[in-house]
Amino acid sequence: MARLTSALCYKDPKAALKWLEAAFGFELVLLIEDGEGNLAHSQMALGEAHVMVGNEWSADHASPASLGGKNTQTVHIHIEDDVDAHCQRARAAGAEILQEPTTQFYGDRSYRCRDLEGHIWTVGQTVKVVTREEAEAATGLKIQGWA
Amino acid sequence: MSARILAALRIKASPARVFDAFVGEIGAWWRPNPLFSFTPRSPGVLAFEGEGEGARLVERLASGKVFEIGHVRTWARGERLVFGWRQAAFAPGMDTEVEVTFEAVGEETRVTVQHRGWETVPADHVARHGFPDQLFLLRHGQWWTGLLEGLAAYVR
Repeated sequence: MARLTSALCYKDPKAALKWLEAAFGFELVLLIEDGEGNLAHSQMALGEAHVMVGNEWSADHASPASLGGKNTQTVHIHIEDDVDAHCQRARAAGAEILQEPTTQFYGDRSYRCRDLEGHIWTVGQTVKVVTREEAEAATGLKIQGWA
Repeated sequence: MSARILAALRIKASPARVFDAFVGEIGAWWRPNPLFSFTPRSPGVLAFEGEGEGARLVERLASGKVFEIGHVRTWARGERLVFGWRQAAFAPGMDTEVEVTFEAVGEETRVTVQHRGWETVPADHVARHGFPDQLFLLRHGQWWTGLLEGLAAYVR
């Protein structure tokens, strides 16, 4: 089975570890620190899902905080229940909510936010099963690959 | 400041059960790794001998010899365990320490291993196999993750 893991860059990855736990409920599962206490590598888990949290370890790795807030990828978290409560928790931890929880035409309720260094995250929960025909009728789009 | 490896995992059992399995049944769930052998004759079978502070973690080798990995420095059942960790090739002054905490999270236990002190083992020491420091620590951390997965599978 293939598995996809996002690796995120932060100027202050140790602060990010604390923030991601407080805001999203991630738990630290692996952390490597060198003899000076610098973070070399870390992984956090949310259920069976993982992200890697690291620093700006090469000239080609940067946090959005170093790029005027620009993102070239965003991470999506799919949760089983209460996306509204998840959003409240993130807001309380200091997330900038870019879009409040909203039910989408495809049946997921999701919100979008920025973390402490400007990474954009989306978090969604399936609240309604929508058929392909319903989604096509709602959007006027021709949809392929609808599960 | 000390180098640190941290590995954590949730296990579906109570902290007391996980603690008891960690110390009492380590020979059953431990997964030896040739990169991190305690002695040239390893692997043997690990065991905690005794209980409480002063107990010791040993590896019983096929030859009948017993290698002492380290003494237990803290033994708080269901909460915290601290023990020394030496390989046979360590010189005096080289010492690492393992701290394991057991934290109830709902009906599960979050087990966290922190392994400190690898900065006391020089870069050219045989225990490091020539690996750069960060790679060595990462491989060691991944082994700890695998060990905790073995513990989880055993306790389940």
